[in-house]
Amino acid sequence: MAYIVGIPILLLLAVVQATVLSNMRLLDGTPDLILLAMVAWALTGRPRQAMAGALIGGLLIDMLSGLPLGATAIIMVIVIYLVSQTAGRFWEAHLLMPLTTVLWSSLLYHGLSLAVLLALGRTLNLGFALSRVILPSTFLNLILALPAAQAASGLAESLYPPEVQI
Amino acid sequence: MTRSSSQALFAMILIMIAAGLLVLNMGGFLSPVESMVLRPIGGAQSWLAVRFYAVRDLLASPADVATLRGQVRELQSQNAQLQQEIIGLQEQVAQAQVLSALVQYARSQPDSRYLAASVISRDVSPFIRSVWISAGSDDGVAKGMPVVTDLGLVGRVVEVFATVSRVELINDPSSVVNVRLQTSRADGALQPQLNGEIWVGMISQDAEVSPGEVVLTSGLGGNYPPDIPVGTLTSVRRRDYELFQQAVLQPSVDFHQLELVLVITNFQPLPFNQPGGP
Repeated sequence: MAYIVGIPILLLLAVVQATVLSNMRLLDGTPDLILLAMVAWALTGRPRQAMAGALIGGLLIDMLSGLPLGATAIIMVIVIYLVSQTAGRFWEAHLLMPLTTVLWSSLLYHGLSLAVLLALGRTLNLGFALSRVILPSTFLNLILALPAAQAASGLAESLYPPEVQI
Repeated sequence: MTRSSSQALFAMILIMIAAGLLVLNMGGFLSPVESMVLRPIGGAQSWLAVRFYAVRDLLASPADVATLRGQVRELQSQNAQLQQEIIGLQEQVAQAQVLSALVQYARSQPDSRYLAASVISRDVSPFIRSVWISAGSDDGVAKGMPVVTDLGLVGRVVEVFATVSRVELINDPSSVVNVRLQTSRADGALQPQLNGEIWVGMISQDAEVSPGEVVLTSGLGGNYPPDIPVGTLTSVRRRDYELFQQAVLQPSVDFHQLELVLVITNFQPLPFNQPGGP
Protein backbone atom coordinates (compact mmCIF):
# COMPACT_ATOMS: atom_id res chain seq x y z
CA MET A 1 0.00 0.00 0.00
CA ALA A 2 2.82 2.38 0.92
CA TYR A 3 4.46 1.83 -2.48
CA ILE A 4 1.23 2.57 -4.37
CA VAL A 5 0.95 5.88 -2.55
CA GLY A 6 4.70 6.52 -2.30
CA ILE A 7 5.73 6.31 -5.96
CA PRO A 8 3.29 9.00 -7.20
CA ILE A 9 4.32 11.19 -4.26
CA LEU A 10 8.00 10.76 -5.17
CA LEU A 11 7.23 11.61 -8.81
CA LEU A 12 5.35 14.71 -7.73
CA LEU A 13 8.15 15.80 -5.40
CA ALA A 14 10.77 15.27 -8.14
CA VAL A 15 8.80 17.34 -10.65
CA VAL A 16 8.17 20.12 -8.11
CA GLN A 17 11.83 20.16 -7.11
CA ALA A 18 13.04 20.35 -10.72
CA THR A 19 10.47 22.81 -12.02
CA VAL A 20 9.51 25.09 -9.15
CA LEU A 21 12.09 24.90 -6.37
CA SER A 22 15.04 25.07 -8.76
CA ASN A 23 13.86 28.60 -9.56
CA MET A 24 13.54 29.57 -5.88
CA ARG A 25 17.09 29.37 -4.64
CA LEU A 26 18.77 30.60 -1.50
CA LEU A 27 22.17 31.53 -2.94
CA ASP A 28 22.60 28.34 -5.03
CA GLY A 29 20.88 26.01 -2.59
CA THR A 30 17.46 24.43 -2.90
CA PRO A 31 15.56 22.16 -0.52
CA ASP A 32 15.94 18.44 -1.21
CA LEU A 33 12.35 17.31 -1.12
CA ILE A 34 12.94 13.63 -1.81
CA LEU A 35 15.67 13.39 0.82
CA LEU A 36 13.39 15.13 3.33
CA ALA A 37 10.49 12.85 2.50
CA MET A 38 12.55 9.68 2.88
CA VAL A 39 14.25 10.82 6.09
CA ALA A 40 10.82 11.67 7.51
CA TRP A 41 9.47 8.28 6.42
CA ALA A 42 12.45 6.48 7.97
CA LEU A 43 11.74 8.31 11.23
CA THR A 44 8.24 6.83 11.30
CA GLY A 45 9.90 3.44 11.86
CA ARG A 46 9.66 1.95 8.36
CA PRO A 47 13.30 1.73 7.28
CA ARG A 48 12.84 -0.80 4.46
CA GLN A 49 10.15 1.24 2.77
CA ALA A 50 12.25 4.38 3.23
CA MET A 51 15.31 2.72 1.68
CA ALA A 52 13.26 1.43 -1.27
CA GLY A 53 11.81 4.93 -1.65
CA ALA A 54 15.32 6.35 -1.49
CA LEU A 55 16.35 4.10 -4.39
CA ILE A 56 13.38 5.16 -6.53
CA GLY A 57 13.69 8.83 -5.53
CA GLY A 58 17.43 8.81 -6.19
CA LEU A 59 16.87 7.37 -9.65
CA LEU A 60 14.31 10.11 -10.36
CA ILE A 61 16.79 12.78 -9.26
CA ASP A 62 19.46 11.26 -11.49
CA MET A 63 17.10 11.34 -14.46
CA LEU A 64 16.39 15.03 -13.86
CA SER A 65 20.01 16.01 -13.34
CA GLY A 66 23.34 15.73 -15.09
CA LEU A 67 24.47 12.98 -12.73
CA PRO A 68 24.75 9.45 -14.07
CA LEU A 69 21.71 7.28 -13.38
CA GLY A 70 22.23 5.38 -10.13
CA ALA A 71 24.74 7.74 -8.48
CA THR A 72 22.25 9.66 -6.34
CA ALA A 73 20.29 6.46 -5.74
CA ILE A 74 23.34 4.87 -4.07
CA ILE A 75 23.96 7.99 -1.99
CA MET A 76 20.33 8.22 -0.97
CA VAL A 77 20.15 4.55 0.11
CA ILE A 78 23.33 4.93 2.19
CA VAL A 79 22.00 8.06 3.88
CA ILE A 80 18.58 6.58 4.63
CA TYR A 81 20.16 3.36 5.90
CA LEU A 82 22.23 5.39 8.37
CA VAL A 83 19.16 7.42 9.32
CA SER A 84 17.23 4.23 10.00
CA GLN A 85 20.06 2.98 12.23
CA THR A 86 19.88 6.01 14.47
CA ALA A 87 16.13 6.55 14.36
CA GLY A 88 14.40 5.54 17.55
CA ARG A 89 17.65 5.01 19.43
CA PHE A 90 18.23 8.52 20.60
CA TRP A 91 15.68 10.78 22.21
CA GLU A 92 12.83 8.60 20.89
CA ALA A 93 10.18 10.94 19.48
CA HIS A 94 11.82 14.14 20.67
CA LEU A 95 11.12 17.29 18.67
CA LEU A 96 14.81 17.72 17.97
CA MET A 97 15.05 14.26 16.39
CA PRO A 98 13.88 15.25 12.89
CA LEU A 99 15.90 18.47 12.99
CA THR A 100 19.12 16.76 14.03
CA THR A 101 18.62 13.91 11.58
CA VAL A 102 17.88 16.26 8.69
CA LEU A 103 20.93 18.36 9.60
CA TRP A 104 23.48 15.57 9.43
CA SER A 105 21.74 13.63 6.65
CA SER A 106 21.69 16.76 4.43
CA LEU A 107 25.38 17.40 5.06
CA LEU A 108 26.21 13.76 4.37
CA TYR A 109 24.04 13.67 1.24
CA HIS A 110 25.68 16.76 -0.24
CA GLY A 111 29.14 15.63 0.86
CA LEU A 112 28.71 12.31 -0.94
CA SER A 113 27.25 14.09 -3.99
CA LEU A 114 30.33 16.29 -4.10
CA ALA A 115 32.57 13.23 -3.88
CA VAL A 116 30.74 11.63 -6.82
CA LEU A 117 31.10 14.79 -8.91
CA LEU A 118 34.80 15.02 -8.07
CA ALA A 119 35.18 11.35 -9.02
CA LEU A 120 33.51 12.15 -12.35
CA GLY A 121 36.17 14.76 -13.00
CA ARG A 122 34.12 17.92 -12.49
CA THR A 123 35.92 21.02 -11.28
CA LEU A 124 34.60 21.98 -7.86
CA ASN A 125 35.63 24.49 -5.24
CA LEU A 126 34.88 22.96 -1.86
CA GLY A 127 34.66 26.29 -0.04
CA PHE A 128 32.30 27.67 -2.64
CA ALA A 129 30.21 24.49 -2.65
CA LEU A 130 29.94 24.62 1.14
CA SER A 131 29.00 28.28 1.42
CA ARG A 132 26.83 28.66 -1.68
CA VAL A 133 25.16 25.27 -1.97
CA ILE A 134 25.50 22.88 0.95
CA LEU A 135 24.83 25.22 3.88
CA PRO A 136 21.90 27.07 2.20
CA SER A 137 20.37 23.75 1.11
CA THR A 138 20.79 22.33 4.60
CA PHE A 139 19.21 25.45 6.09
CA LEU A 140 16.21 25.12 3.77
CA ASN A 141 15.96 21.43 4.60
CA LEU A 142 15.94 22.28 8.30
CA ILE A 143 13.08 24.73 7.79
CA LEU A 144 11.08 22.01 6.08
CA ALA A 145 12.14 19.22 8.46
CA LEU A 146 9.29 19.55 10.95
CA PRO A 147 6.49 19.93 8.35
CA ALA A 148 7.93 16.91 6.51
CA ALA A 149 8.03 14.87 9.72
CA GLN A 150 4.44 15.87 10.52
CA ALA A 151 3.27 15.01 7.01
CA ALA A 152 5.03 11.64 7.08
CA SER A 153 3.61 10.88 10.50
CA GLY A 154 0.10 11.78 9.34
CA LEU A 155 0.46 9.67 6.19
CA ALA A 156 1.76 6.72 8.20
CA GLU A 157 -1.19 6.92 10.57
CA SER A 158 -3.67 7.01 7.70
CA LEU A 159 -1.97 4.12 5.88
CA TYR A 160 -1.35 2.05 9.00
CA PRO A 161 -3.99 2.93 11.57
CA PRO A 162 -2.99 1.75 15.06
CA GLU A 163 -4.53 -1.58 16.03
CA VAL A 164 -7.01 -1.39 18.87
CA GLN A 165 -7.69 -4.35 21.15
CA ILE A 166 -11.33 -4.81 22.05
CA MET B 1 19.22 -12.83 11.53
CA THR B 2 18.87 -9.70 13.66
CA ARG B 3 16.75 -6.78 12.57
CA SER B 4 19.84 -4.61 12.15
CA SER B 5 21.71 -7.07 9.92
CA SER B 6 18.55 -7.70 7.91
CA GLN B 7 18.32 -3.96 7.23
CA ALA B 8 22.00 -3.84 6.27
CA LEU B 9 21.46 -6.73 3.84
CA PHE B 10 18.43 -4.97 2.34
CA ALA B 11 20.44 -1.75 1.95
CA MET B 12 23.27 -3.69 0.28
CA ILE B 13 20.83 -5.27 -2.19
CA LEU B 14 19.42 -1.84 -3.07
CA ILE B 15 22.90 -0.37 -3.47
CA MET B 16 23.87 -3.25 -5.75
CA ILE B 17 20.73 -2.66 -7.84
CA ALA B 18 21.63 1.05 -8.11
CA ALA B 19 25.26 0.19 -8.95
CA GLY B 20 24.05 -2.23 -11.63
CA LEU B 21 21.88 0.51 -13.12
CA LEU B 22 24.85 2.89 -12.95
CA VAL B 23 27.01 0.47 -14.95
CA LEU B 24 24.25 -0.18 -17.48
CA ASN B 25 23.67 3.57 -17.84
CA MET B 26 27.36 4.26 -18.43
CA GLY B 27 27.21 1.66 -21.19
CA GLY B 28 24.28 3.56 -22.70
CA PHE B 29 21.85 0.67 -22.31
CA LEU B 30 19.25 2.56 -20.31
CA SER B 31 18.54 5.45 -22.66
CA PRO B 32 15.32 3.90 -24.03
CA VAL B 33 14.07 3.27 -20.49
CA GLU B 34 14.96 6.81 -19.43
CA SER B 35 13.18 8.18 -22.49
CA MET B 36 10.10 6.15 -21.60
CA VAL B 37 10.08 7.37 -17.98
CA LEU B 38 10.92 10.96 -18.87
CA ARG B 39 8.09 11.22 -21.42
CA PRO B 40 5.29 11.59 -18.83
CA ILE B 41 7.58 13.44 -16.41
CA GLY B 42 8.51 15.93 -19.16
CA GLY B 43 4.81 16.45 -19.88
CA ALA B 44 4.13 17.10 -16.20
CA GLN B 45 7.09 19.49 -16.03
CA SER B 46 5.87 21.44 -19.07
CA TRP B 47 2.41 21.72 -17.55
CA LEU B 48 3.77 22.87 -14.20
CA ALA B 49 6.41 25.18 -15.72
CA VAL B 50 3.82 27.18 -17.70
CA ARG B 51 1.73 27.75 -14.58
CA PHE B 52 4.74 28.48 -12.39
CA TYR B 53 6.10 31.09 -14.81
CA ALA B 54 2.67 32.73 -14.98
CA VAL B 55 2.47 32.96 -11.18
CA ARG B 56 6.06 34.16 -10.92
CA ASP B 57 5.49 36.87 -13.52
CA LEU B 58 2.34 37.97 -11.73
CA LEU B 59 4.14 38.23 -8.39
CA ALA B 60 7.17 39.92 -9.89
CA SER B 61 5.23 42.53 -11.89
CA PRO B 62 5.12 45.36 -9.26
CA ALA B 63 8.89 45.28 -8.94
CA ASP B 64 9.19 45.17 -12.71
CA VAL B 65 7.14 48.36 -13.13
CA ALA B 66 9.60 50.40 -11.07
CA THR B 67 12.52 48.88 -12.94
CA LEU B 68 10.86 49.51 -16.29
CA ARG B 69 10.20 53.17 -15.47
CA GLY B 70 13.89 53.65 -14.77
CA GLN B 71 14.75 51.88 -17.99
CA VAL B 72 12.31 54.07 -19.96
CA ARG B 73 14.02 57.26 -18.69
CA GLU B 74 17.40 55.84 -19.59
CA LEU B 75 16.22 54.73 -23.01
CA GLN B 76 14.72 58.15 -23.76
CA SER B 77 18.10 59.80 -23.27
CA GLN B 78 19.76 57.11 -25.37
CA ASN B 79 17.10 57.60 -28.03
CA ALA B 80 18.00 61.27 -28.46
CA GLN B 81 21.64 60.33 -28.86
CA LEU B 82 20.84 57.58 -31.32
CA GLN B 83 18.78 59.91 -33.51
CA GLN B 84 21.99 61.79 -34.22
CA GLU B 85 23.77 58.64 -35.17
CA ILE B 86 20.96 57.44 -37.45
CA ILE B 87 21.63 60.23 -39.92
CA GLY B 88 25.22 59.13 -40.31
CA LEU B 89 24.30 55.48 -40.44
CA GLN B 90 21.74 55.96 -43.19
CA GLU B 91 24.58 56.83 -45.48
CA GLN B 92 26.32 53.62 -44.58
CA VAL B 93 23.17 51.54 -45.09
CA ALA B 94 23.31 51.97 -48.82
CA GLN B 95 26.85 50.63 -48.87
CA ALA B 96 25.94 47.81 -46.50
CA GLN B 97 23.08 46.71 -48.72
CA VAL B 98 25.45 46.20 -51.59
CA LEU B 99 27.86 44.31 -49.37
CA SER B 100 25.03 42.26 -47.92
CA ALA B 101 23.94 41.19 -51.38
CA LEU B 102 27.49 40.06 -52.10
CA VAL B 103 27.71 38.16 -48.83
CA GLN B 104 24.39 36.46 -49.54
CA TYR B 105 25.64 35.43 -52.92
CA ALA B 106 28.90 34.13 -51.55
CA ARG B 107 27.32 32.31 -48.67
CA SER B 108 27.44 28.62 -49.37
CA GLN B 109 25.99 27.50 -46.06
CA PRO B 110 22.21 27.64 -45.74
CA ASP B 111 20.80 29.79 -42.95
CA SER B 112 20.43 28.22 -39.56
CA ARG B 113 17.23 26.33 -38.96
CA TYR B 114 15.72 26.80 -35.53
CA LEU B 115 13.51 24.70 -33.33
CA ALA B 116 11.74 26.50 -30.48
CA ALA B 117 11.50 24.77 -27.12
CA SER B 118 10.35 25.72 -23.64
CA VAL B 119 12.63 25.52 -20.63
CA ILE B 120 10.75 23.11 -18.40
CA SER B 121 13.14 22.79 -15.47
CA ARG B 122 16.62 23.33 -14.16
CA ASP B 123 19.13 20.71 -13.14
CA VAL B 124 18.17 19.15 -9.81
CA SER B 125 21.83 19.06 -8.81
CA PRO B 126 22.87 22.52 -7.63
CA PHE B 127 26.44 21.78 -8.74
CA ILE B 128 25.51 21.47 -12.42
CA ARG B 129 24.30 24.44 -14.47
CA SER B 130 21.97 23.02 -17.06
CA VAL B 131 18.32 23.25 -18.05
CA TRP B 132 15.83 20.80 -19.48
CA ILE B 133 13.94 21.76 -22.63
CA SER B 134 10.70 20.39 -24.04
CA ALA B 135 12.16 19.02 -27.26
CA GLY B 136 13.95 15.74 -27.80
CA SER B 137 14.95 13.24 -30.43
CA ASP B 138 11.30 13.00 -31.59
CA ASP B 139 11.65 16.64 -32.69
CA GLY B 140 15.02 16.15 -34.34
CA VAL B 141 17.23 17.36 -31.50
CA ALA B 142 20.66 15.74 -31.32
CA LYS B 143 23.64 15.93 -28.99
CA GLY B 144 25.89 18.90 -29.55
CA MET B 145 23.31 21.18 -31.13
CA PRO B 146 23.77 24.81 -30.06
CA VAL B 147 20.98 26.52 -28.17
CA VAL B 148 20.35 30.25 -28.42
CA THR B 149 17.78 32.92 -27.72
CA ASP B 150 17.21 36.11 -29.66
CA LEU B 151 19.78 37.70 -27.32
CA GLY B 152 22.60 35.24 -27.79
CA LEU B 153 24.16 31.93 -26.91
CA VAL B 154 22.64 29.76 -24.17
CA GLY B 155 24.62 26.54 -24.42
CA ARG B 156 24.42 23.23 -26.18
CA VAL B 157 22.51 19.98 -25.95
CA VAL B 158 24.38 17.34 -23.95
CA GLU B 159 21.69 14.73 -23.34
CA VAL B 160 18.77 13.81 -25.56
CA PHE B 161 15.71 11.71 -24.80
CA ALA B 162 12.55 11.18 -26.81
CA THR B 163 10.67 14.26 -25.68
CA VAL B 164 13.14 16.24 -23.55
CA SER B 165 16.80 17.24 -23.70
CA ARG B 166 19.35 18.62 -21.28
CA VAL B 167 21.20 21.79 -22.26
CA GLU B 168 24.53 22.60 -20.63
CA LEU B 169 24.64 26.36 -20.06
CA ILE B 170 27.72 28.32 -21.06
CA ASN B 171 28.24 29.31 -17.41
CA ASP B 172 28.69 25.67 -16.33
CA PRO B 173 32.36 25.13 -15.41
CA SER B 174 32.48 22.13 -17.77
CA SER B 175 31.40 24.22 -20.74
CA VAL B 176 33.96 24.97 -23.44
CA VAL B 177 33.27 27.84 -25.86
CA ASN B 178 35.81 29.44 -28.16
CA VAL B 179 35.08 33.10 -28.75
CA ARG B 180 36.24 36.09 -30.76
CA LEU B 181 36.18 39.69 -29.62
CA GLN B 182 34.30 41.69 -32.22
CA THR B 183 36.35 44.87 -32.31
CA SER B 184 39.88 43.69 -31.56
CA ARG B 185 39.35 40.39 -33.50
CA ALA B 186 41.26 38.59 -30.74
CA ASP B 187 40.45 34.95 -30.05
CA GLY B 188 39.76 33.66 -26.57
CA ALA B 189 37.95 30.98 -24.64
CA LEU B 190 35.20 31.19 -22.05
CA GLN B 191 36.27 30.15 -18.57
CA PRO B 192 33.11 29.77 -16.47
CA GLN B 193 33.80 30.10 -12.76
CA LEU B 194 32.26 28.18 -9.91
CA ASN B 195 30.61 31.34 -8.58
CA GLY B 196 28.69 31.80 -11.84
CA GLU B 197 30.96 34.47 -13.32
CA ILE B 198 32.28 33.94 -16.82
CA TRP B 199 35.80 34.96 -17.68
CA VAL B 200 37.25 35.17 -21.14
CA GLY B 201 40.75 33.79 -21.09
CA MET B 202 43.48 32.94 -23.59
CA ILE B 203 43.37 36.46 -25.05
CA SER B 204 46.69 37.37 -26.61
CA GLN B 205 48.72 40.01 -24.77
CA ASP B 206 49.09 41.88 -28.07
CA ALA B 207 45.35 42.44 -28.48
CA GLU B 208 43.93 45.86 -27.58
CA VAL B 209 40.94 44.77 -25.56
CA SER B 210 38.63 47.17 -23.77
CA PRO B 211 35.48 46.90 -21.64
CA GLY B 212 32.25 47.06 -23.59
CA GLU B 213 33.60 44.97 -26.41
CA VAL B 214 31.12 42.48 -27.84
CA VAL B 215 32.04 38.80 -27.66
CA LEU B 216 30.95 36.34 -30.34
CA THR B 217 31.49 32.64 -30.87
CA SER B 218 34.51 32.05 -33.10
CA GLY B 219 33.50 28.68 -34.50
CA LEU B 220 36.94 27.29 -33.69
CA GLY B 221 36.86 23.75 -32.39
CA GLY B 222 33.66 23.02 -34.24
CA ASN B 223 31.41 23.03 -31.16
CA TYR B 224 29.43 26.14 -32.08
CA PRO B 225 28.74 28.03 -35.29
CA PRO B 226 30.60 31.34 -35.55
CA ASP B 227 29.25 34.81 -34.83
CA ILE B 228 26.61 34.05 -32.21
CA PRO B 229 26.59 36.86 -29.61
CA VAL B 230 27.79 35.65 -26.21
CA GLY B 231 27.95 38.89 -24.22
CA THR B 232 30.03 41.99 -23.56
CA LEU B 233 33.21 42.51 -21.61
CA THR B 234 32.79 44.38 -18.34
CA SER B 235 36.45 44.54 -17.27
CA VAL B 236 39.84 43.50 -18.56
CA ARG B 237 42.87 42.29 -16.60
CA ARG B 238 46.22 42.57 -18.28
CA ARG B 239 49.43 41.71 -16.45
CA ASP B 240 52.77 41.82 -18.17
CA TYR B 241 54.04 38.70 -16.48
CA GLU B 242 51.10 36.55 -17.62
CA LEU B 243 50.89 34.80 -20.96
CA PHE B 244 47.35 35.91 -21.69
CA GLN B 245 44.91 38.65 -20.84
CA GLN B 246 41.69 37.89 -19.00
CA ALA B 247 38.35 39.66 -19.11
CA VAL B 248 35.07 39.36 -17.29
CA LEU B 249 32.05 38.69 -19.48
CA GLN B 250 28.49 39.88 -18.94
CA PRO B 251 26.46 37.26 -20.82
CA SER B 252 23.83 38.61 -23.17
CA VAL B 253 21.37 35.98 -21.91
CA ASP B 254 19.94 36.05 -18.38
CA PHE B 255 20.13 32.38 -17.45
CA HIS B 256 17.72 32.83 -14.53
CA GLN B 257 14.95 34.10 -16.79
CA LEU B 258 15.13 31.52 -19.56
CA GLU B 259 11.70 30.41 -20.66
CA LEU B 260 11.94 29.85 -24.40
CA VAL B 261 15.02 28.88 -26.39
CA LEU B 262 15.92 28.04 -29.97
CA VAL B 263 17.87 24.94 -30.92
CA ILE B 264 19.94 25.28 -34.09
CA THR B 265 19.07 22.01 -35.75
CA ASN B 266 21.14 22.19 -38.93
CA PHE B 267 24.50 22.72 -37.28
CA GLN B 268 26.80 19.71 -37.46
CA PRO B 269 29.13 19.73 -34.46
CA LEU B 270 32.35 17.79 -34.44
CA PRO B 271 32.14 14.38 -32.71
CA PHE B 272 30.66 15.03 -29.30
CA ASN B 273 32.69 14.54 -26.15
CA GLN B 274 31.10 15.73 -22.94
CA PRO B 275 33.87 17.09 -20.72
CA GLY B 276 34.00 15.32 -17.40
CA GLY B 277 31.00 13.24 -18.39
CA PRO B 278 30.54 9.55 -18.10
